[in-house]
Amino acid sequence: MKYILMMNTMKAGHDVLNWPKKDFQAHIGFMMSVNKELHGRGELVSAEGLSFPDQAKLVRAGKDGKPVTDGIFPESKEFLAGFWIIDVDSPQRAYEIAATVSAAPGPGGTPLNMPIEVRQVMSGPPPEML
Amino acid sequence: MKYILLMSSTRAGVEGYHASPKQDIDAHMAVLHRINQDLTESGEFVATQGLTEPKEAKIVRGEKNGLPVTDGIFPESKEFLLGYWIVDVASAERAYAIAGRISAASRNIPIEVRQFATHVGNPDK
Repeated sequence: MKYILMMNTMKAGHDVLNWPKKDFQAHIGFMMSVNKELHGRGELVSAEGLSFPDQAKLVRAGKDGKPVTDGIFPESKEFLAGFWIIDVDSPQRAYEIAATVSAAPGPGGTPLNMPIEVRQVMSGPPPEML
Repeated sequence: MKYILLMSSTRAGVEGYHASPKQDIDAHMAVLHRINQDLTESGEFVATQGLTEPKEAKIVRGEKNGLPVTDGIFPESKEFLLGYWIVDVASAERAYAIAGRISAASRNIPIEVRQFATHVGNPDK
């Protein structure tokens, strides 16, 4: 079963660049060790971080089919900061991994306990729609 | 340059889509399939996935003891990721053009376009 674990944050939550360097390094080191462990267990499909929200664009098709880009977002919008795609035996295992990354260390080494959204990845459209 | 194109909607939006006539959904799926084929032929396709419905989504936090705490209660206004495309393109404009095409095929739903950060953490890199 494939799941995506999504680490979302508000625009204001992207203050990691202001963390003390050693705290930032500890955070990244923790994430790398989690990824290595998942990789070793054959559970990691992919893990990516995204560039910061100030570079995000919202695109719609205009009437002529050309893209219309916009970079204005409501303050309340949650941005995807990064994600993991994992291939696991059960939803419980997906929740366990989500809890592990949720507790990644923040400033001063305190666990962030950030919320991680867990969603199953479909292998195709639902059969009733085909 | 790798970009992820994110298609999101509220729970009400997803339920509205599922209530539309089957032929409309079939036509929509066919266009998305065509776009995937075109991206594959141009060498820009990396991955695409659809996600299961918002009602199956969970939010997980680590507790003090490290055990997962799950919650499935979301505000009505929350936007859920419905699916995504990862593309490897020569420019941001090309990513926007692909997003525009997906948007046009999908009732002009807005597509969030985000570039991958170049670093960290994937042992495959």
